[in-house]
Amino acid sequence: MKKYETPLLDELEKGPWPSFVKEMKRAAAKNEMANDELGQVEKSYKDKRGYWKHGGIVGVLGYGGGVIGRYSSIPEEFPGVAHFHTFRINQPSGMYYKTERLREIMDLWDKYGSGLTNMHGSTGDMIMLGCRTEALEPLFAETSSRGWDLGGSGSALRTPACCLGKSRCEWANIDTMDLCNELTQAYQDYLHRPAWPYKFKFKIAGCAVDCVASIARADCSVIGTWKGKIAVDQSAVANYAKGGMNIQAEIVDMCPTGCMSYNGSELTIDDENCSRCMHCISKMTKALRPTGERGATILIGAKAPIVVGSLLSWVVVPFIKMEPPYTEFKELVEKMWEWWDDNAKPRERIGELIEMKGMRPFLEAIGVEPQAQQVYEPRKDPFFFWKEEDLNK
Amino acid sequence: MEKEELKDKIFAFVQAAKGKKKLKEKDIIKGVSTETGEAADVVKKAMREMIDVGKLMYSYGGGSSSVEIPSEEYLREKGMIK
Repeated sequence: MKKYETPLLDELEKGPWPSFVKEMKRAAAKNEMANDELGQVEKSYKDKRGYWKHGGIVGVLGYGGGVIGRYSSIPEEFPGVAHFHTFRINQPSGMYYKTERLREIMDLWDKYGSGLTNMHGSTGDMIMLGCRTEALEPLFAETSSRGWDLGGSGSALRTPACCLGKSRCEWANIDTMDLCNELTQAYQDYLHRPAWPYKFKFKIAGCAVDCVASIARADCSVIGTWKGKIAVDQSAVANYAKGGMNIQAEIVDMCPTGCMSYNGSELTIDDENCSRCMHCISKMTKALRPTGERGATILIGAKAPIVVGSLLSWVVVPFIKMEPPYTEFKELVEKMWEWWDDNAKPRERIGELIEMKGMRPFLEAIGVEPQAQQVYEPRKDPFFFWKEEDLNK
Repeated sequence: MEKEELKDKIFAFVQAAKGKKKLKEKDIIKGVSTETGEAADVVKKAMREMIDVGKLMYSYGGGSSSVEIPSEEYLREKGMIK
């Protein structure tokens, strides 16, 4: 195996933090693809340019997602990475694995690919980096025969992702893992057959702490919430104060709606004005607790800056019950898809389309009434306009 | 229309766009449905069957997908032809 000198990459091994270079070198010691990847990345750092070609017709038969074509533009110099396709495997909800299942995946990946992975990609999938075209079908056959499936890519439903929800977190207002699994199973065709203008992502968080960052990363963010009051245990509040917490500065002054007050001995909450952001609860876990009916807030339109700038999700449904079989939610989502698919230009995300056409036609299309909670930014142009027939009423 | 005839129409539609336009599934379904008068669902089903056997394949570029006719070179790499 050719030995590459990597003085620039070596710099990234220094320091106390984990280094991807160290891991690549470990893989390179036994895998030709990983070894040539190391050489090509060093050359990229030296020349200050990338040497990858991206995309094309690469995949497994019948699937339009899950494999992303990647080729080296200098295969004569680095033949091991002439083909270096990405293979996405749909992660289990909440990313729970038995170690034997992880070993199984890694054994297959050593057999068919470079041995390099990205655990996990930002969509949530297990990302296997570096596979030759002719190895894709046998790899897929072996992984699927063991119960794994490909994740989403391209203009498809991307692999739904969720926080670990009720499996470990007492604050989860909805069963995130069940909903994630249900959406994955119900929308297999949308996941594997890219039919839309662009990608669509679901991320499901059990509460507004939003451990999956759904509000910033998902076209459709599902965030668990509650309808009742926040129960306050005043003796626990006193213990926090005694323990050194500055309740005024750390809790009351940080409340985004200013609905809390503290008189030095008692914490009071004006629940009518609480936006259920979870800041106070996550800071004073022993003193505060949500009560009452549980469900989710549905938000739409977050994305990273690709075609236009980044967007955060926008509330469209302030509260919806989230219980199996999730019929109401699925019907809502399917209406969203239909409007987006009918109106969007190629590579236009649903959030961008709403920015372009306005929230009103979107709400009309999905059959949701305008509500105060949908106002994105106060004191900005309203997005509801009277129609001719409204004026005649 | 016989299914095989419809598949030929779909193939010709995709071939005509080769090098000119990246066709999405919806473009093919709408275009062929208009051209042949067949229902969109029927066209979609026929197209999917063609994708399942490698007569057409999904392609990917810049995060967006389209449907194309695979090259012989690619089919050879995949071991689908000799």
